[in-house]
Parts: sequence; structure tokens; C-alpha cells
Amino acid sequence: MSVTTMFLQLAGGMATTAEIFFLTLLFSLPLGLAISFGRMSKMGALRVISKFYISVMRGTPLMLQLIVVYFAPYYVFGIRISSGYRFTAVILAFVLNYAAYFAEIYRSGIESMPVGQYEAAKVLGYGRSQTFFKIILPQVIKRILPPVTNETITLVKDTSLAFVLAEAEMFTIAKQIAAKQTSIMPLMAAGVFYYIFNLAVAGFMEYAEKKMNYYR
Amino acid sequence: MKKFIAMAFTAVFTMGLLTACGNKAEDTAAGSAAPEENAAETASEEGEAASQDKEETAGRTFTVGFDAEFPPYGYMDENGGYTGFDLELAAEVCARNGWEFVAQPIDWDSKDMELSSGSIDCIWNGFTMQGREDSYTWSVPYVDNSQVFVVPADAGISTQADLAGKVVGVQKDSSALAALETDAAALAITFADLQQYGDYNVAFMDLEQGAIDALAIDIGVANYQISSRGDAFVILEEKLASEQYGIGFKLGNEELKNQVEATLLEMAEDGTFMEIAEKYADFGLTDSVCLGK
Repeated sequence: MSVTTMFLQLAGGMATTAEIFFLTLLFSLPLGLAISFGRMSKMGALRVISKFYISVMRGTPLMLQLIVVYFAPYYVFGIRISSGYRFTAVILAFVLNYAAYFAEIYRSGIESMPVGQYEAAKVLGYGRSQTFFKIILPQVIKRILPPVTNETITLVKDTSLAFVLAEAEMFTIAKQIAAKQTSIMPLMAAGVFYYIFNLAVAGFMEYAEKKMNYYR
Repeated sequence: MKKFIAMAFTAVFTMGLLTACGNKAEDTAAGSAAPEENAAETASEEGEAASQDKEETAGRTFTVGFDAEFPPYGYMDENGGYTGFDLELAAEVCARNGWEFVAQPIDWDSKDMELSSGSIDCIWNGFTMQGREDSYTWSVPYVDNSQVFVVPADAGISTQADLAGKVVGVQKDSSALAALETDAAALAITFADLQQYGDYNVAFMDLEQGAIDALAIDIGVANYQISSRGDAFVILEEKLASEQYGIGFKLGNEELKNQVEATLLEMAEDGTFMEIAEKYADFGLTDSVCLGK
């Protein structure tokens, strides 16, 4: 296999990796916000459920969650799955897992807002949702960008776990090429791909941080 | 900085998009071809059933689960497609039955779950029958395989007795490991340690760098590794175990098994089977196959 073919193959795997990455972010960021609301809710039951959800999702390995999401329909409910479910299951498991982490990041941001701001907003006649979306959330997003960047970069590397469900993302392809060539070089090349991707992610987040650097 | 980021992004994604089609094929081709579909006509007579089945099932998909890190039986070829002795046989079986062939690389640890949940139709990948007789519905054996020890050529190990006090590597959940735990347990007890690996590539690298002294491995895989890595390694003549490869179907899926088996025997009869084996003659497959001779 020529070096060009190898890079093309890895790039193909990278497309799957990127797909997992973007879809996960797309769904887990809003879901995380919803869970953080549950976690801070005044309703005790909702708070307990959210807390339990977060503790399970953070307390068990992502690999196990992937297996459960993919195989539970058949082994628990007896529903025959089709091959198309494979990718759906990967996304579902990643979203459920990452939303738990994002929920706690949102909570840290929201709870760090001084009470004075809520009071000031009330005096100015803002409603509750207006206060949240116009005043609190923009500042929260600004504050939580660094921990979100952390999670996002971890997510890029976690995509390699998708292979437990036989989803051929980049690291799997690299391992297959390594087996074919009986060499470790393809794994190194995979590392370069991850690094470049993460460099781009970190760069974008830094740019976003700078953009949001208003108020000072 | 901004420009650089934009460029990096664009580069990564154009490359990704250009080649995305490669691995999408196996996602879209549904492996849902449920065996029940034609369960109704199981009762029909032998002779006619075969040809009738062929027409009835034409157009279905046939999803083969395999470990893509297991050359020469299933692996990635020069162009990034999946190939190997077993996969070529499977593709030919599909061509003759008018089925759509899907090669689905799987995580070897999840093979049973994949098979019973129906996301693959069979495991066809240097799959040892011995010790698993009751867990799958098996085709006829098609390869006489043996488990052997590979040692560095200059290690001064020439018999199994020389392995006493040495560190031996083996793939986890492999039939070599099964042999070392049962029939050859007396031998295994003389080793200093038995080191288990996830895949043979890593195990071979460990052997190469001297962290282990020997590796218990399938002979076909050993031949592939040695022909690719050069002759710094030798295979001990004394074999660890002899066994056979078959195609494993979900327990009770006789109908699909019979159909695949009939086509396989037909291929053995008309020489196609041997033709495919000859492509892999470098790895000793022409000697070890047990059909079509």
C-alpha cells in the first residue's frame, strides 16, 4: 500500500471521525443545557433524576455505554436491529455521555453568576427567561469556553471507541493498515491526523474566546 | 493564525469528503437479511430446494463478520478495500447466489453479540471449530489449520521443551490460548509467563523487540507475518495443536448454512476454490486447505 493510499484511507476514516464529532456536539450541547436546568431545578424529583443520570453517565465507561445502547434493543427488548442502527447507536451513546459532562460545565458557569445581576435585571423589568437568555447565558458561554474546549478535544480522541460497535473510524482503519503492513507507522500517521484536527479545534475555540472578549 | 486554522480545516475536510464514500458502503447495505424470510420452505426436498432457494433468495445481502487485522484471511488490501482468502471465497459464494456481499469488520470480542443480534450473517474469518462445536451452526471445514510457535531465528529455541522458563505471547480468546489452557496445559506450566495480546501485530512487534521469547499463533497468520517482516523468525516444527476452520452461523440457522455450504462445495468441485487458494500460496494456504484437492 502506497503512502498516498494510506493517507487517503485514513482521511476516509477521518470523515467518519469528524461526523461522529460534529453530530455529538450538535446534540449534546443543547441536551447538556437541558440537563443542567434539571440539575438546578426547584423540583426535587427532577433534580434527583438529573443527578442520577449524570452520576451514571460519568461513572461508567463510555465503551460500556456504547455496547449497551447498541445491543440492548435486541438482548433486552428482542427487537432485531439492522446495520443502519450501528451509526445511530454510536451517536446516541456519545451524545448521552457528553451531555452529562456538558451539563455540569453549564451548571458551574450559571452558578458562578452573581445574584446581583438577577436583582438588577428584575429591577429593570426583565422576565425570567429574558434575564437568562439575554443577560446570564451570554456571560456563561464566555466563561465556560475553556472547559468546553477540554471536553471537545477529549471527544475527538474518544471517537476511536466507536470501534467496539464496528464503526470503522480513523483509528480502526489505522490499526487495519498496521496489521496489513505489519508496521507501526500507520498508527503514527493516525496520531498526526488527530493532532491536526485538535489543533484546528483548539484554534477555533481560541478564536471564539477572543471574539467574546467584550465587556473589558 | 486565523488563516492557518481556516486552511487546516479546509484541508482536513476536503480530504475527508473526497474519500468518505469508501466506508459508507457497509453502513448503507443493510445486514438485516433475516433468516426467517424464507424459513417457510425449509421442508422442501433436497435437490430441488437448492436451485429453488437460489432464485428465492437472490438479491438478499450476505453480511460476513470478520476481524480486519487477521491477514491473510481477512485484511485491508493495497487500495483500502477488504480482501483475504475467506472474503474472496465469500464474495464468490455471493456472486453465484446473486446475493449482495457485505464485508463487515467487527470487534472480535463482540462477535457473538453481532451474530445473535443479526447484524452479521456469519463469521467467516479463520474461525476455529474445535472447542466451539456447540456454540455455532458450522459449515464443513475448509482449512486444516495448526497452531504453532514462532521464535526469533537466533534465539536458540528449536523444540517446545526449549520454551521452559520463557515468556510466551498469545492472542486473547484465540484457539492457541485455548490449547495452552487445556490439552497443552502441561507445556504452558513450564513457561515463565503467558502474555495475552489484543492483536497479532502488537504481539509480533513485542516479539521483535525482545519483550517476549515466543508467540503461539495460527500458522497462516505466522506465514503472513514472516513473509512480510523478513526471515528473522522461524516456526517451530513441533505443532501446538491441529484444528480446522469452518464458517460459523448463528446456532440453528441451518438453511443459510446449507446454501452457503452447497455453493462452497460446488466451488471446490469446479476448481474455483483452489484458484483462490493459489493467490495466497505464499502464506501456505494451498497446503492447508482441505477442500478441492
